[in-house]
Amino acid sequence: MQDNSEFIAEFLVESADNLDALDRDLLALERTPDDATLVAGVFRSIHTIKGNSGFFGFSKLGALAHAGEHLLGRIRDRVLPFDAASSAPLYALVDAVRTILASIRDTGGEGDHDFRDLSRALTAAAEGRPVAVAAAAPDPATPPAPAVASEPAPEPELRTESPPRPASQPAVQPPAVVEAPAPTAAAPAETTIRVDVGVLASILDLVGELVLARNELRAIDTEDRSVSAASQRINAVTNALQEAAVKTRLQPVDHVLGRFPRTVRDLAVACGKEVRLDIDGASTELDRSLVEAIRDPLTHLVRNAVDHGIESPADRAAAGKPREGRLTLRAFQESGSVTIEVADDGGGIPVTAVRAKAVARGLISAEAAAALSDHDVLQFIFEPGFSTAAQVTSVSGRGVGMDVVRTNIEAIGGTVDIDSRPGLGTTVRVRVPLTLAIVPALVVRTAGERFAIPQAAVRELVRLRTDRDGPRIEGLPEAPVLRVRGRLVPLVFLDRLLGLRPDNASDADGTVVLVRIDDHEFGLVIDGLRGDDTDAGHALVEAAVLTTIVVKPIGGLLAQVGMYSGATVLGDGGVVLILDLRGILRTTRLPPIPPAADAARAGGTPFSDRYLLCTTRGGRRIAMRLADVARLERYPRTELESLGSRTVVRRDTGFTPVVDADAVLDTPAGPAPDMARLVVLGDEAAAVAVEVGVILDVMAAETALQEDRAVTVGQGTLALGGRAAELIDHAAARRRAETGIES
Amino acid sequence: MATTTAVVRHCTFRVGSHCLAIDAEAVAEVLTARPVTRVPLAPATVVGLIHRRGRIVPILDPAIRLGLPTSAERPNATHLVLRLGDDDWYGLLVDEVLDVIDVPAAAVERPAATDGESPLIGIFAAADQLVHVLDFRRMIQTPLRPRPQSS
Repeated sequence: MQDNSEFIAEFLVESADNLDALDRDLLALERTPDDATLVAGVFRSIHTIKGNSGFFGFSKLGALAHAGEHLLGRIRDRVLPFDAASSAPLYALVDAVRTILASIRDTGGEGDHDFRDLSRALTAAAEGRPVAVAAAAPDPATPPAPAVASEPAPEPELRTESPPRPASQPAVQPPAVVEAPAPTAAAPAETTIRVDVGVLASILDLVGELVLARNELRAIDTEDRSVSAASQRINAVTNALQEAAVKTRLQPVDHVLGRFPRTVRDLAVACGKEVRLDIDGASTELDRSLVEAIRDPLTHLVRNAVDHGIESPADRAAAGKPREGRLTLRAFQESGSVTIEVADDGGGIPVTAVRAKAVARGLISAEAAAALSDHDVLQFIFEPGFSTAAQVTSVSGRGVGMDVVRTNIEAIGGTVDIDSRPGLGTTVRVRVPLTLAIVPALVVRTAGERFAIPQAAVRELVRLRTDRDGPRIEGLPEAPVLRVRGRLVPLVFLDRLLGLRPDNASDADGTVVLVRIDDHEFGLVIDGLRGDDTDAGHALVEAAVLTTIVVKPIGGLLAQVGMYSGATVLGDGGVVLILDLRGILRTTRLPPIPPAADAARAGGTPFSDRYLLCTTRGGRRIAMRLADVARLERYPRTELESLGSRTVVRRDTGFTPVVDADAVLDTPAGPAPDMARLVVLGDEAAAVAVEVGVILDVMAAETALQEDRAVTVGQGTLALGGRAAELIDHAAARRRAETGIES
Repeated sequence: MATTTAVVRHCTFRVGSHCLAIDAEAVAEVLTARPVTRVPLAPATVVGLIHRRGRIVPILDPAIRLGLPTSAERPNATHLVLRLGDDDWYGLLVDEVLDVIDVPAAAVERPAATDGESPLIGIFAAADQLVHVLDFRRMIQTPLRPRPQSS
């Protein structure tokens, strides 16, 4: 048997997939009971389980699957309809198979659950008798389970043994041919294989080594053209390889969403609701570790939506809505993050009640509450104070455990946001990074050491000035603060925190990295970003956006320091510690931002409100949404190739169109330096490189975007750093790059 | 392992003027010491981090943990990389890796005075000197003095 263990493991994985498919198909059948392809699919799934369990000698499983197969055979042959009476035991069968598989996985044996009632129910249903009638039915017995004792067999068809199915049916189905019934839906060509995660991890590690070796190679100064050409190629291949290796970590969110049709069905039945579930974007991919991490929070949101969001059929009818409620799960990817929406068309959340509750619980003053937008008020749902059952009933039953949902999502660097319209429904948006293992990070420098800060937490960079007007440190020496647009943000000196410099070190200049984590916002005072002292703002911000780090564990010994969440290897081969911002918060005991200030902060979607501020070569101030920015790169101008009126650059991922920022704005072009500074917007296929003059900063906008010059240019104007800047968005740049081709 | 017939393969190395040994099973690699990344606030024994084959490896200095004197200059400094588990890699900063030898378990004696916490779990005679057996796990588990903070 021990020789089988590998196969059994495979059998378990495969069966789990089969069961998910079964759930899906059964649910689909409820909608279209006559769909022969679906019935055949269900039949096949059960049959495969039966076959495998026979092979491994799991007799209980085999017997159950056999009984199920028999019932399905009759449905397929249209002797029986697919209805509540015939489907109920099938759902029970799926659950029973799951139970047995879990037992096999955990103990190696089938466990001692008694499924004889279920067997009888399946057999009875196959006979078209009410499921409740049990006693008379014989145990369906597969060869390994010689359980057939009594055999009252009132009808011949009831014999589940196997071949005999004399009757009038079109006899499509002697058991030996079970695979045949759906030749149309024949298994699609195998384009995937199962690979041990450990193997993938080691490939990723090796690629990391290769990247470093590549970097060393690039650093070699050579006159030999053939060597530099080969080095270029190795460079390109290495980048492509790294990207491909990273992709192997991704998994479709379907692994989580695929379970929900069943969950929703069961919940709806239990709550006496009618719910239709639509899933969109199930193939959206996410790092496998994150797919697991979002399972519980999403399940919670789905439960909430069915249980509390969607009204009973009667209430819905009374409100003039269709009796059947709609729950929509939508997953999509946008620049480095994945959003999953859980939307229902239920009764919504009464904002006034939430507002009152927030005031009553002392989370916010009545005046402040009145000034908040409905959207901001709704976010209080995620406050721990809103989460106990007694309070929830007064808020229309929503909010159960929403604080836990938020905590879990934020723990993986994500955000949650809720929107609700009374009477129309509620939408919860969960946004998580594409991967945890590979994240964009800011590399900062203090007291001669470098550290990485995950970019997801970084809100803004502020360069301190020694002159009177610029941003400077205020407050008492023990409690330094920085004034940021009217707010006072507490500061933490990284060098002192880490014991790198004495507490009384001068703090005249430097840079503040404003970070936001959970309910806290603080500024981390550093000497500068990567680069050296003389190199001011520009190159620094560039480093900030550029660096993508591979997070590596540092082991328990160092984790207990509580300041580092891991380490990474930079392009120059140096090891850099990744700061654990939560750990720093714990150590420094900074107070959380008051909810009012929190809500007043620039909108609910901070990332999209941040902009990369640059100038064009012609000197105009422009801004690009940070969410659009994929990379910042520099190329010798000689590497920009003209193809007719279109310019492209060969990047690691292929050719990317290049467009001058001034051309996007239809303003006169400026001088062309030898090195072109490119801001790449959008991912891969949709990427477009915008050539800019100087990169100034990353900032949050102070005003809402004002759309001027409208569609033809496709941007607007906003205030950044107290001055106007023109927006260049991805679509506009892309459009301009494409017109370049035509003209 | 501790039976009288067993033979344990040890890797011996020098720290200052002392000779130490560690279970050779755990030794993954021997590297010329390379620049490390300091880890502020880490226990004093932690010299810093290096990376090796995609892994981050903390380098520890047994001299500090054991209170052994070393000279300021350590010209032959070597990183002895140990693999304790899949994702559990450590390195020892040593002055020289000497040998790999099989030592009958019976030849290893308990050190005279053990406080139960000492990572030195045995002692044996090899060639012309005494060799202390270092239990690495114990070395990282037993309390370590944090680096004094500058405040």
